[in-house]
Amino acid sequence: MKMSEVVEFRDILLARKMESGIFQFMTRAWHPLRTFNMDKYYSPQELKGMVLDSVYLDSFIEAETARNGGCKVKLKKEVMNYLEEMCLDKKMHVIRWMGIAFLKISFMMKIGIFVNEPAVLKLRSSMKTNPILFLPTHRSYADFCLMTYLCYHYDIDLPAVAAGMDFYSMAVVGKAMRETGAFYIRRTLAGDHLYAATLKQYVRTLVSKYPSPIEFFLEGTRSRSNKSLPPKYGMLSMSLVPLFAREVSDITIVPVNLSYDRLMEHGLFAYEHVGVPKPKESTGGLLKSLYSLNDHYGNIYINIGTPLSVKSYLNNIPNTNEMLKPVDLQQLTPEQFKQVQSVANRVIILQQKCTVATISNLLALVLMSSLIENRLLSLDEVLSQVEWMITVLRTLGATVFENDVRGNVNRILVVHSKMVKLDKERRLRLLSGTLMDVSRDVQKKMKGHILKAETMATAIPIIQLQLYVNPILHYLVPPAIVLLIVLRRPITKDELSSDYHQIRKLLRHEFFHIEETEEKTLAESIDYCIQNNIIASVDGQLVPGSDERLQFLLKWSIWPALTTLSLAADITTEQVNCGHKQALKLVQERAERSGCHPYCLSLESIGNCLQGLVLGRALIKQKDTADTIYQLSPEVMEKCQHLINTVQPKFKVAFDVSNSVILDNTHVLCRL
Amino acid sequence: MSQNANNDNIRTGDKKNSSSATTKRSEINNNSDSTVIKVKSVIPRRRQDILKWYGWGYKDSMFQLDGDVAYFTGNRYLIAGKSLPHLQNWAYENFKVDLKKPPKIPEMPTSFPETRLPADIRQELEGIASVSVDGMDRLIRAHGQTLKDISDLRGNKFPRIPDAVIWPESHEQVEQIVKCASKHGFVIIPFGGGTSVSGAVTCPPKEQRPIVVLDTSDMNSILWLDKEQLLARVQAGIIGQDLEREMRARGFTVGHEPDSYEFSTLGGWVATRASGMKKNTYGNIEDLIVQTKVVTARGVLEKSCRVPRISCGPEFEHIVMGSEGCLGVVTEVTLKIRPLPPVVQYGSLVFPDWDSGVQFEREVARQRLQPSSIRLMDNEQFRFGQALKTESSWGGVFLDGLKRIYITRIKGFDPTKLCVVTLLMEGTAEDVAEREKKLNSIAAQFGGIPAGAENGERGYTLTFVIAYLRDVAMEYGIVAESFETSVPWDRTAALCSRVKRRIRDECAARGIQHYLISCRLTQTYDAGCCIYFYFAHNSEKFIDPVATYEEIEEAARDEIIASGGSISHHHGVGKLRKKWYTDTVSEPGRQLLLAAKRALDPDNIFALRNMALDEYDGDQEDIGIKSKL
Repeated sequence: MKMSEVVEFRDILLARKMESGIFQFMTRAWHPLRTFNMDKYYSPQELKGMVLDSVYLDSFIEAETARNGGCKVKLKKEVMNYLEEMCLDKKMHVIRWMGIAFLKISFMMKIGIFVNEPAVLKLRSSMKTNPILFLPTHRSYADFCLMTYLCYHYDIDLPAVAAGMDFYSMAVVGKAMRETGAFYIRRTLAGDHLYAATLKQYVRTLVSKYPSPIEFFLEGTRSRSNKSLPPKYGMLSMSLVPLFAREVSDITIVPVNLSYDRLMEHGLFAYEHVGVPKPKESTGGLLKSLYSLNDHYGNIYINIGTPLSVKSYLNNIPNTNEMLKPVDLQQLTPEQFKQVQSVANRVIILQQKCTVATISNLLALVLMSSLIENRLLSLDEVLSQVEWMITVLRTLGATVFENDVRGNVNRILVVHSKMVKLDKERRLRLLSGTLMDVSRDVQKKMKGHILKAETMATAIPIIQLQLYVNPILHYLVPPAIVLLIVLRRPITKDELSSDYHQIRKLLRHEFFHIEETEEKTLAESIDYCIQNNIIASVDGQLVPGSDERLQFLLKWSIWPALTTLSLAADITTEQVNCGHKQALKLVQERAERSGCHPYCLSLESIGNCLQGLVLGRALIKQKDTADTIYQLSPEVMEKCQHLINTVQPKFKVAFDVSNSVILDNTHVLCRL
Repeated sequence: MSQNANNDNIRTGDKKNSSSATTKRSEINNNSDSTVIKVKSVIPRRRQDILKWYGWGYKDSMFQLDGDVAYFTGNRYLIAGKSLPHLQNWAYENFKVDLKKPPKIPEMPTSFPETRLPADIRQELEGIASVSVDGMDRLIRAHGQTLKDISDLRGNKFPRIPDAVIWPESHEQVEQIVKCASKHGFVIIPFGGGTSVSGAVTCPPKEQRPIVVLDTSDMNSILWLDKEQLLARVQAGIIGQDLEREMRARGFTVGHEPDSYEFSTLGGWVATRASGMKKNTYGNIEDLIVQTKVVTARGVLEKSCRVPRISCGPEFEHIVMGSEGCLGVVTEVTLKIRPLPPVVQYGSLVFPDWDSGVQFEREVARQRLQPSSIRLMDNEQFRFGQALKTESSWGGVFLDGLKRIYITRIKGFDPTKLCVVTLLMEGTAEDVAEREKKLNSIAAQFGGIPAGAENGERGYTLTFVIAYLRDVAMEYGIVAESFETSVPWDRTAALCSRVKRRIRDECAARGIQHYLISCRLTQTYDAGCCIYFYFAHNSEKFIDPVATYEEIEEAARDEIIASGGSISHHHGVGKLRKKWYTDTVSEPGRQLLLAAKRALDPDNIFALRNMALDEYDGDQEDIGIKSKL
């Protein structure tokens, strides 16, 4: 693994804080760059008309009425209604007002928006030739606001953003978002074929005929765990159709990583992990949350990745019989869909590679480490640990934008003042939550096992802390697995390989990675471990090395995931046949009872592990009408369990208020 | 009479479509986000439920001559159910037929040759698509519509019928079937509407291998329809009337209307190089087709791009068109469609004689002013048309009388010489009016006068009924058949009179007294036209009337070719006209055909033996020799 290159980040809000101010900037004459040139540019209304009159939708309606009867005019009206609901708009005055609101709120939140400006400028200079897709990571609702503002700032046409229907129903905001370029899509397309057809045609028309960047979230939803989710392929396949249909010469994908010092949603996410459902989005809720936005939210890093030319990535897009169809009717062939999947997976990896390790991540790593060691750290120790962590991460290839550790740690302590604190002796402590009495109403809505108030009090802050550890894990997990296998007994590279791949497979959903590059990742991880004395190579055998500090870091980094996996394996073995929801509850219950790392209570993580066991064929997934049923495959499961148990690090840690690092804050009682 | 009662029960045509075939239906392209329009065909898989097994067309539609007055049964055609008061007289005058005798209607056969298809192959085929070995299913797909076919059918005299019928629903299934045939060495006969009049689809009698008829009628979906490009991709098994109905329902037309279009299929049109009545507006099949997809024994033959024209060596679409089933199965076709014309108007013109009619047609072609259809009928046909007039009101009779007086007395036309041109004009009201004006003025130059829309309309509505005449004729001992040719303008008039003369001579030599020879000019081009001959004679006293007829037709064709005409304008060569094939295309031409056959079907899977392929045995011989060694 190579040292990461030095990246220049600039705070694009800095200039707005000067006297030229917000208003002047948002009312300036604005002549944005388009993504490509056309002889004629279509208004959002004209685009709608083109979709409505497209050969595809006409053919679809003809076939639909031939199949099921029904009136063509009515179906066309239905398409029109869908388009009204879906389509974007562009109103300059709304863009300007929204920009002003955005800046006001940003100042209220006291954020800095750090952008790797050279990359943006380079992107700008290479525009004008073909459609561009912005594919940012999705960690927060703030993501698309930030991307849109970034485009305004750098005079790039505002992206057409795929937004969930949650926003559509929000008063005023829903409309304003549409007028700044959002288009609305329903989450599930199943069942409504006409809607799916309309969306398909709308998206491909946008990509090929609307010269603004198209932006959507490959992960499909905000990742509640603050690390990459496996990609959803639907939007990307719709967007890439114009390339396969040869309507455009190429499509450029710009992977973007947004890293936050403090996620607005981290509290809600932590609750969601243990099963408290997310509240419905509403304008009222938004206004209420505005109050809480008057706080310190630290820095946000927008790392624009190297653009990916889909055409060159796919190398060769052979002609298919689909070309014999009218261009509007051309669909992806199964082979082309596989290519789209490969692009999607690749982009997730590129997003990961753009991760910027923030001071929050570094501090979280240090604090989690201290928590697991159950050893309090003084501020000076924290600072030196952070310095050490920076070196470690840079060696692993991570981008760390950090030049003033002391200053930034002090800054971040203010940002995360509700989560961490220096006690009187200036030692770093994690604040416990309060003891909360969960009301019956909320209990009814809870998705998992009903956890005890005491568990929640410490679990929520620790899960929150874990959220800042998670984005770094993809650097740590491969060497961690190598280490754990070697710790078992001396082993050859070849023997190690099969166990490594098996563990990676079982954790594929928890730690997203591409299978094709795993050989390379393994080789690099072994090299890294040997070079850094984590393991050593003696007479062709790999044996444990001498760097215990690094070993400890790696061991605890994967510990919660392996524990969850092990619990999931145990529960499904005992149950033999087990519904998905039931499995979640039982694993959570056992995790609570056995006092594991609180992240093992995460329903998302448990779900990922169950899917991993399915992937490893230890479980067989059966679709029931209401729920997924896991059926045990005893022999395979036994082997899996054996593997997990032999590599599982053995830590004994108290995660309740008795842990010296946790500052007990449970005396206040409040209701949820 | 019992036949008649039977017909009324079946007219509704919604009888259960229960074929004896195993029911294996793989719903192709039926995923609900597809743009495939699945067409419900007028003709069910059990064709015999709706179609006459022993002749042409619908079971419920036929001429009845044995009552007090002749009439046409059923309710499918304009003249159906109406009495035809002049027809019996006409039949007697021309053929001296005895209408007192009951018509000879054959009994449906009950015993059939055993199927030669081995059980294991049948099972394999059943895994691909529905298969039937039912005797009737096989018999009605053993033939086309030549006089010989119908005569053999009525007498149950076929030396060979297919051993099984298979109904694929998709291109992919056809590919599998052809692969299966290559593997096991059985013969495939692609079968569409069974309206071939060249013997092309008729089972080759000497074929020893099992013969499987690949009935394309279940491949009748419209795969896509692009109203913007005016193109449609259609499965080749769709029949003309289904295709046209679906297009018209959506405001479009293909405009390809051969007289068989109620029953013939798109794939059949391609395989025969068909021509439609309205080719002047819409083009012949070769003008309509943008692309075809063909399953050959060597793989799928299809161009990789959908373009309006290409300069890329010889056009292989033209190897497929007219291949008469011998090179493979056409599975999908991309063809042009047109918006429906706002106005359709008929017209007619009367000319004093045939020559002036031909000169008029030539002039219209020279000026390229042809309306969608323009046809010239000779005097015999004109009079036959009159014989098919239905009973009309007193006013109608009066008007007819006035017209007749005007034409014969005032204009001085000889009623035994005059000829009629019928017109079918399509377009906007202005276009049609303007065209009519121009045509009338050209007609005037050649002594022609307008004779009203009604005469024209009757001419065209009779088009589809005329095919039923042969059945009733046969039932009264008359053999009747039509044959056609194409000829350059400068040789047209001579060809017509020489062929008529030759037939008269042939009849005289055989002592045939009661016969009819008539012709019409049905299509015009820059360089020539298409002539259709109708020949019928009373064959009561002949032992083998079909053989006699065939001798005369052969003589007529010799005469056509000697007069500078062609082997066929649109019926094809098949087995019936193979005699003239090599002379027509030259010896290197024949070699080219054989080379194409060798390239695409070396094992002679598609052993229909049409054109010059009757002696072709492909690599079979080599295999034979090898096995002997």
